Amino acid sequence: MALELDRSIIGSEFDRTIFDPVTDAEVAEYAAASTEPQPDQTIASPTFVVRLRGRRFMPSNLPPDLGRAAFDAGKDIEWGAPIRVGDVLTAVSTVHDIYEKTGRSGSMRFLVLRTVITNQRSEQVAVIDQRMMFR
Amino acid sequence: MRIEDIDVGHELGPLALTLSGEQVRQYSIAARMPGGRFMSDEDARKEGLPGQIVPGNLSMALFSRLISESLPGAVLKRLNATFRGLVRPGYALLIHGVVTEKHSSDHGDFVECDLVLENTEGDRWVTGTATVQLP
Repeated sequence: MALELDRSIIGSEFDRTIFDPVTDAEVAEYAAASTEPQPDQTIASPTFVVRLRGRRFMPSNLPPDLGRAAFDAGKDIEWGAPIRVGDVLTAVSTVHDIYEKTGRSGSMRFLVLRTVITNQRSEQVAVIDQRMMFR
Repeated sequence: MRIEDIDVGHELGPLALTLSGEQVRQYSIAARMPGGRFMSDEDARKEGLPGQIVPGNLSMALFSRLISESLPGAVLKRLNATFRGLVRPGYALLIHGVVTEKHSSDHGDFVECDLVLENTEGDRWVTGTATVQLP
């Protein structure tokens, strides 16, 4: 039987981090490690955005009935303005959704955390939805 | 590659590669993902896993590389991935995709793609979709 999950934390902000200016060294390091092509050395490769982790990865006020053993079930990234060397980026993370699904292996609960990244010109750089699964 | 050069059904890749444990460790450092599960077999086993695993973010970076190499000049606008199984270093991987839709608007020319990361037995460990803007 499906649990009645407490959805009251949807929309709540749990982290806001302003990062140091992006350096050419970290852009190059990420491109080399990810093997993503980087045609312009002053622009970060697309998935560089996953590197922008805030100080707090999870909200502290998760509903107790959500379960335990969270793992990364998937991710959706939508890109806006490119990240350039020297950009000062801000990441704001909120609880975007909580829902339950029942599959062959039983009931699973999902928490979707949304991180919106903007640059110093207030241009949106990326929106990342991370789906965490709990049992 | 321009939209008139591509039909629905156009195949992307495959990329065939095997990630080493050291590559995964280096990626995890560059991506600021310090979890033991990404660093070594020993640390991963302490977390109850069968051995070192590949971060989902690196699988997404490989999808991004596939698109860059298969559609030169294209810009990734959106990427969604579902992590269906544990990807492990030391296993031969095939990463490939197919164009499922093409559309044009005032914002440009776009294709939609289905993406797969699988092992040589055809187990689909990561699946995804992408929206790509063409030059």
